[in-house]
Amino acid sequence: MGFGGEGAGATALAPAVGLRGVTKRYGPVVACAGVDLELMPGEVHGILGENGAGKSTLMKILIGLVQPDEGSIELGGRDVVIHDPQTAAALGIGMVHQHLSLVEALTVWENVLLGDASRFDRSAARRQVMETAEHYGLEIDPDRRVGDLSAGLRQRVELIKCLRRDPKILILDEPTSVLTPGESEQLFTTLRDVVAAEQRAVALVSHKLAEILHATDRITIMRQGRVVERSRTVEATASSLATAMVGRHVNLRSSAAALGVTDLVDDERLRAEREAAAAAAAVAARPVVLDIDRARVVHDGVAVLDDLSIQVRAGEIVGVAGVEGNGQRELGDLLSSLVTLDSGSVVVNGRSARTGRAGCMAELGIGVIPEDRHDSGCVLDLSVAENLVLDRIGSVARLGLVDRKRMRARALELMREFDIQAAGPDAPFGSLSGGNQQRVVLARELGHDPTVLVAAQPTRGLDVGAIEYMSGRLRAAADSGIAVLLVSTELEEILELSDRIVVMSRGRVIGELDRAEATSERLGLLLGGVGDDHDRSRGDAA
Amino acid sequence: MTTTDPAATHATSTSTSASTSASATSTSASRGVTLVLLYVLAIAIALALSAALIAITGGPWRKVLTALLDGSFRRPGRWGDTLAESAPLLVVALGAIVSTRAGLVNIGQEGQLAVGAATATYVATHGGGPLVLLFALVAGVVGGAVWAGIAALLRYWRRVPEVITTLLLVFVASQGTGYLLTRTFLLLDDDPNKPNRVQTSAQVDADTRIGFIRVFGNEFPWSVVLAVVLAVVVAVMLSRSTWGFKLSVLGRNPRTAQRIGVPVVLAGAAALMISGAFAGLAGAAMLAAGTANYRYTPGFANNIGWEGLLVALVARNRPLVCIPVALVFGALRTGSGFLAATGVERSIVDVVRSLLVLALLVPPAVAAIQRRRVSPPPAPVATDEPVVAVAR
Repeated sequence: MGFGGEGAGATALAPAVGLRGVTKRYGPVVACAGVDLELMPGEVHGILGENGAGKSTLMKILIGLVQPDEGSIELGGRDVVIHDPQTAAALGIGMVHQHLSLVEALTVWENVLLGDASRFDRSAARRQVMETAEHYGLEIDPDRRVGDLSAGLRQRVELIKCLRRDPKILILDEPTSVLTPGESEQLFTTLRDVVAAEQRAVALVSHKLAEILHATDRITIMRQGRVVERSRTVEATASSLATAMVGRHVNLRSSAAALGVTDLVDDERLRAEREAAAAAAAVAARPVVLDIDRARVVHDGVAVLDDLSIQVRAGEIVGVAGVEGNGQRELGDLLSSLVTLDSGSVVVNGRSARTGRAGCMAELGIGVIPEDRHDSGCVLDLSVAENLVLDRIGSVARLGLVDRKRMRARALELMREFDIQAAGPDAPFGSLSGGNQQRVVLARELGHDPTVLVAAQPTRGLDVGAIEYMSGRLRAAADSGIAVLLVSTELEEILELSDRIVVMSRGRVIGELDRAEATSERLGLLLGGVGDDHDRSRGDAA
Repeated sequence: MTTTDPAATHATSTSTSASTSASATSTSASRGVTLVLLYVLAIAIALALSAALIAITGGPWRKVLTALLDGSFRRPGRWGDTLAESAPLLVVALGAIVSTRAGLVNIGQEGQLAVGAATATYVATHGGGPLVLLFALVAGVVGGAVWAGIAALLRYWRRVPEVITTLLLVFVASQGTGYLLTRTFLLLDDDPNKPNRVQTSAQVDADTRIGFIRVFGNEFPWSVVLAVVLAVVVAVMLSRSTWGFKLSVLGRNPRTAQRIGVPVVLAGAAALMISGAFAGLAGAAMLAAGTANYRYTPGFANNIGWEGLLVALVARNRPLVCIPVALVFGALRTGSGFLAATGVERSIVDVVRSLLVLALLVPPAVAAIQRRRVSPPPAPVATDEPVVAVAR
């Protein structure tokens, strides 16, 4: 709507690439339905949509990873067929994937070179990497091992890898999911320069409204495989975009985490903070339920948890903020009985845990929604019912034999209570959507009244509706007296839910804030590594 | 090997085209039909190749199939022998299924069986009393379990993959039990009137021998019944018991298992040892049922361990399906023995048998590949999901 006409004035050029009526079906599911998309040279084009809206599929079609069932791709005025990523690269299309595809054991320049069919020339390759890096202001040491780099720098390597091939069309798929706010700002500044100076066309795929509003020129919004709206960024507002994306009016406050907007809701937050302060006083009087005291875990000579101390009281949500890869995973593993402490202790309700012993944390009443539910939260090949009783199989058994009737009954009960959409209790767990899988895990962990609930990245990869649900459940769990430890890399999620926030970096707590004193700016500064200088962060935030 | 290639590729192409025509709604029924067709095709090809081979070497090639059937079922008394031959195959296969369920690959049954048979022989020849048969069988169980336990120990203490250790321990077992047969205070028969100079153990006494059941002129040891009962027990334990449930959680997702309180090391080691125990029991029962004339001999295991493993493979790790599959493998053993008696050279008979075993292995393998290919692209939301799953 309002696309072709007004835009033509500024860029009266032919589109760099145009997709016409692209349709892709997976069995009965239509991932893309007759999608038209044009990327203009010299513009950043935001593609916005919830998970499963079809934006990733669309990008995969453009890069040749997926072949469309219908429709055509027009590049520089002529139709092309993109069989595979090699063809796409030859046509000047490059993509930076959401999940970085780097080899940790190799150096930066080796990674950049990876996938080249050409001759292996070390000095030329290093020079080229340095030239590309310098040209775009993406400073990096080509001889560093990628495994030693921060997530931000790895993203930079990925970007250099892509830019070195001099793509006319650049696709970025959720590029900021692993970056600190500072790092993502820098990324977009670079991006702007590249686009403006060299007339490249950029597609930025994201589900974060703030990012889209901040970094793009045009926006295409997708829902259920269709384009539902096209607009120029200057004409868009956060709430108009959110409504188009979800297909109904959304409460921006409760969905702020999902959409990546915080500044819109400051008034409401202030009110909430006042209420929270009152509640905090009440909580402070409650007993400490989970007490992690100077927990230390050393892997290969590196302290992944370094004298970490966190206390959670009954009925309180403590948010653990931090950039990914700073010990959050190990913290989750510790509370999932997967890690043995080298020193320190974990005490639940006065009972000390024998860390690392199978099931020790579950016995003490710690429920865990793991960071990666496929890793330690479920068994994909088992049924929904089996996954729901996974840790309590004895409770539906008689004389060591599982009573299927009781198991199904228990499963149906939980499926109703937690509104789990599945073909039935016997459906394979793997056939459920991500949101419903997460509900199964949640139902199981809350199903037997835990004393502590650990939620690690509980809303990652979920759509807005599922996020609202999850947030509500966590809040309700805390209100019912459960001590909740929320580990998340999404600042908005932490700010929205937590009563108290601790910031983790390199396996230790580098700062602790009450809900009332926490703002995204202050947290951002702490995450960015200025946490040691407490005064400065206070000054900047004011 | 090259001879089987055409069969495999041909089979693959038919099955995939069949599945595409059946589209996404392809039912398990059509898959079953495909599987049966594959079996018929593969066996036909194997028989044709066998006949050709025998013809080239100047044997009675027209009679391959008849001889196999005569030797395994049709001649008087033969199906009793086939049952007797199938029982240890079945028991070994059941053990293999237990370790596979726990996510561990035990391929050392041949060695575990030999050790079990040797320890059983020791108890049988040195012990006595009314319960000596029971003690001998228990000794077999313990021997097999301990032998697999070495692999378990290395796996959980030093992280040596159990695939490698169980395999290599087969050769250690073969040499080790060979040594036992060189010392009279261990296993070697000290009877000075021994007919030949092959080193074997003494014959076990009558009260250490398993009784025979006689039906319609056929006879088979009651260990056959024991094997079938074990198959039912294993089937129930794996599919219905809380132990089986925990074992499958362990096999499919060890980290989840650890979290819900299944001790990964202990449960895994136990599964591996149970697997060895089954092989050891098979060895002990073979001894007591008259294999090698109630003696422990070099080469006692005689590929039962390997073929038992194949039984589990063909049965795709379903305990009850192992019963008919073990019977087919047992029939191949007795039938090929008979084929040798018709004047076909022994080495050619071995090739024939191997071809038929291959023919039995190809269809389930093809089916597995087909399942992986056809496995429907994940449900709606999942357009983004697989990437996540792979990347993590």
